[in-house]
Amino acid sequence: MGEKTDVWQGTLALMVLKTLQLMGPQHGYGLARRIEQTSGDLLELNYGTLYPALLKLEQEGYIRSKWGVSDNNRKAKFYELTRAGERQVNKAAAEWEQTTEILARFLAPTGEV
Amino acid sequence: MNPLSAKLRGMTSRIAGLLRPGSTNREISAELESHIALHTDDGVRSGLSREESRRQALIQLGGAEQTRQAWRERNTLPRLEHFFRDLRYSVIRLTKSPSVTAIAILSIGLGIGANATIFSMVSRFVLRPAPVGDPTTLLALHTTHDGDRCCNNSSLPTYLDVRNQAKSFSGVAAYYELLPASIGGNGQPERVWGQAVTPNFFSVLELPMVVGRGFVEGEDHAHSVVLGERLWRRRFSADEAIAGKVINLSGRSFTVVGVAPAAFHSVDQILDTQFWVPLGLVAELAPDVSQQNARDFHWLAVVGRLNPGVTRTQTTAELKTLAQRFARDYPATDKGGGFVFEQAGSLPPRDRNSVLIFLAALSVVVLLVLAIAGANVANLLFAQAASRQREMAVRLALGATRGRLRRQMLMESVLLGFGGGAVGILLSLFATRGLSAFDLPAPVPLDIHVALDGRVFVYSFALSFICGIFLGLAPAWAASRPLLSNALKGEDALARKGRRFTLRNVLVVTQIAMSLVLVCVTGLFLRSLQSAANIDIGFGRQNLLLVSVDPRVNAYTPERTVSFLSQLQQHVAALPGVQSAVVTDIVPLSGGGRSDGFHVEGAPDSGDGNPSVDLFMATPEYFDTMGIPRIAGRDFGGETPTGPKTAVVSQSFAERFFPGKDAIGQHVVDGGTSYEIIAVVGNVKARTLGEETRPALFRSLAQTVASDPSMMGYTLMVRAAGNPRLLSQAVRKQVAALDPSIAIFNEETMDEHIRSAFFLPRLAATLFGTFGCIGLVLATVGLYGVMSYAVSRRTREIGIRMAMGAQSGAVERLILRQGLVLSCIAVALGWPAAWTLAKLATSFLYGIQPHDAVTFAVVPPLLIVIALVACWIPARRAASVNPMQALRAE
Repeated sequence: MGEKTDVWQGTLALMVLKTLQLMGPQHGYGLARRIEQTSGDLLELNYGTLYPALLKLEQEGYIRSKWGVSDNNRKAKFYELTRAGERQVNKAAAEWEQTTEILARFLAPTGEV
Repeated sequence: MNPLSAKLRGMTSRIAGLLRPGSTNREISAELESHIALHTDDGVRSGLSREESRRQALIQLGGAEQTRQAWRERNTLPRLEHFFRDLRYSVIRLTKSPSVTAIAILSIGLGIGANATIFSMVSRFVLRPAPVGDPTTLLALHTTHDGDRCCNNSSLPTYLDVRNQAKSFSGVAAYYELLPASIGGNGQPERVWGQAVTPNFFSVLELPMVVGRGFVEGEDHAHSVVLGERLWRRRFSADEAIAGKVINLSGRSFTVVGVAPAAFHSVDQILDTQFWVPLGLVAELAPDVSQQNARDFHWLAVVGRLNPGVTRTQTTAELKTLAQRFARDYPATDKGGGFVFEQAGSLPPRDRNSVLIFLAALSVVVLLVLAIAGANVANLLFAQAASRQREMAVRLALGATRGRLRRQMLMESVLLGFGGGAVGILLSLFATRGLSAFDLPAPVPLDIHVALDGRVFVYSFALSFICGIFLGLAPAWAASRPLLSNALKGEDALARKGRRFTLRNVLVVTQIAMSLVLVCVTGLFLRSLQSAANIDIGFGRQNLLLVSVDPRVNAYTPERTVSFLSQLQQHVAALPGVQSAVVTDIVPLSGGGRSDGFHVEGAPDSGDGNPSVDLFMATPEYFDTMGIPRIAGRDFGGETPTGPKTAVVSQSFAERFFPGKDAIGQHVVDGGTSYEIIAVVGNVKARTLGEETRPALFRSLAQTVASDPSMMGYTLMVRAAGNPRLLSQAVRKQVAALDPSIAIFNEETMDEHIRSAFFLPRLAATLFGTFGCIGLVLATVGLYGVMSYAVSRRTREIGIRMAMGAQSGAVERLILRQGLVLSCIAVALGWPAAWTLAKLATSFLYGIQPHDAVTFAVVPPLLIVIALVACWIPARRAASVNPMQALRAE
């Protein structure tokens, strides 16, 4: 896959939650970079779309935010997972794995089904 | 947290976001600023210049402003935000032209109010379920005879058979519908109506009791009574501990077992009954129910509670089988019989159609009123839309979408609709109160109380909404597509070429024409009321006090009844201020009465073909007291119960039975009883005002009480020297002195009695008078609106005319002429329509022709005069235009 892929609708939230779960509190820019790196730079993330997604997760109570200071002494807003977010990320991850597994069976060469 | 509650939480915080736009804007700006700073730092670290790095950061962010916008939309609810912004703007617009808004809301309010009032009658009489447990499974059962569609009560044996054999029902109850009684408690005994019911009645109805219990099995003959809540509050001070106490009912002791809720008046929701006793006591309390056990004596109303899961089709089938079995077993009485049923509490099947037609007619009339109101408001809004083209054009030019403009216009009209709906509800609160205050001339107690309920609110709300949408459609469409170039230049952008008859003019002409129809019909009913007031009822209405008693319910024998009544009459006649006192059974014009077929003695008896004669009981001096002129013969006097029977007949009776002969001394026969005619008196209206004169026969009270007792009690008529009301206490004392357990009822003056006989013409005149006036006011306002608008549009033209030397009088005439033309066209269209419609009203009119000359001659000029007044104000304004200002304003 030579070209970069856009982020699919709905998966960004899961990526954000998972990243927060693994890395602990992060600011928006850090999250964006981390997601790009994790995808092996295959994803083309428009950083701007990250903020409405973060807001949505915060409104739904999966993450919370507070202002803090970054490694290089910049003021930044840090996001971290809530208890509900923890549960949600596990649940969504399980669902996603199941979905991809099913799809994988369809896409696999015939005979293996 | 599950996803649904997460969504809810998200929604809540978005709504909260709506309320604090400023602080969150700062929040996202700061966050983006920090993002860009972090990103730029990274870039600088990887060797880019600061400017280049910042540029890259911005590019990858996808634009700070776009991000802010996306974030803001996520933070709030954009649709809701637009909605609120439109709403705020609409409210501002509406409050900016308060007079137009007020007129519009009032117009719609009148229309909605009329509709809500009529719909509250529909809701009350057609839609309201009986106030019993699960009304849908409670059926009212009627018997039919030999293929007749409808319907009769049941006999006791039939009821018992159905109860014992029908499997569709979990319970079947029967009741005797109207049982008069006098009841004790606070104050003097009072006459009330109740029902005699089978002991399972309340359990079949599943009626929750306010106090105590309903009847139980085995209580058939117990002297137990269930009181209605209203009666309990009024006469027993809402005594919570009344269950088990003994009260006086028609001179007997009854134990109260429970109190039924106030909402429950009777299963059929029309009769207004206030107590219930076991059916087994009927023989004791209602002596006229003589053949209780006969299979052909249909005296019981029956209700059945369906078993769960049983359908109506199954029930119909089972009842059909039962009817066939009964017909086989009892061919003499049940041959060809059947059953029909409907949900208990629906309109009685016998009257259903006439009530539905009456309500449908009224609904059409009020929808007409609403249509007039709607035309009115549409006109106003249209005029307003025209004057707002410039605003619209500017908003369009600035990039608002047409859809947005339309939405906003629609919101204004829907707001107007709701405002009107609120006013309408208020108006109908008064109207229904007025309607409920009408006194029905009926011999039995009826509950016709009408009030606003939930259904009426929903209906009015829906109607207001629909009204608002319809009103807004045309103006919204028109205003959202002005001719931009014209509008921005300040010229008329809605007036397209070649339109001579504008929608506005068509609307106002239709409106005036419709209101001409309404006002003509109103005029007819008012004239009818006036002429009803002049109907010769045949007896006097002044200085008479009417007081009724019913000794029969206190178990008086006929002999005791006669002696009680004659003592009462003598005692009252001896009171100071009393000129005379007499006793009768039914006062004429009571809405009903007693009648029987008569034939001349010696002539062949043609059975059912005998002419029907209205019957009244009388005592000596009856005719003088009533003011009925005696034409020939002598008054009653000296009749004994066992002596030969005598009668006084009305003039129309004499003419009917003895044309061209002297009736006095002749004999007439009614069902085997022969009467000698001793006098002929003037005609009276026997039952209703509108009736053709019917033959009447007056019998001696003393000779009739035993053989043909009155079911409705007896009325003492007292002629007073002065105000009859002042005798009330003295007369009541005389009754109590003779027997304190006898209840007095229907105390009224003859004047009041006759006034309630005017029920129908008064109701019709009131309803149509109200609707007619509303229509007229609306049409006037509409014409005024159109003319004012025309004047405001022609301000510049008028200015030029006046600058060129036109006199203000000429300008005034110019405007008046325009209004006059519109009204004349409307009258020319409306008059023939009214003429045609008037024929339909014929059967409701008293003593006037449907094409009443006065009405049809007076209404059109009246309407034109009113139209001229409506035009005159704008015309004056036009004439006072200052030419300099008018020309400068543009």
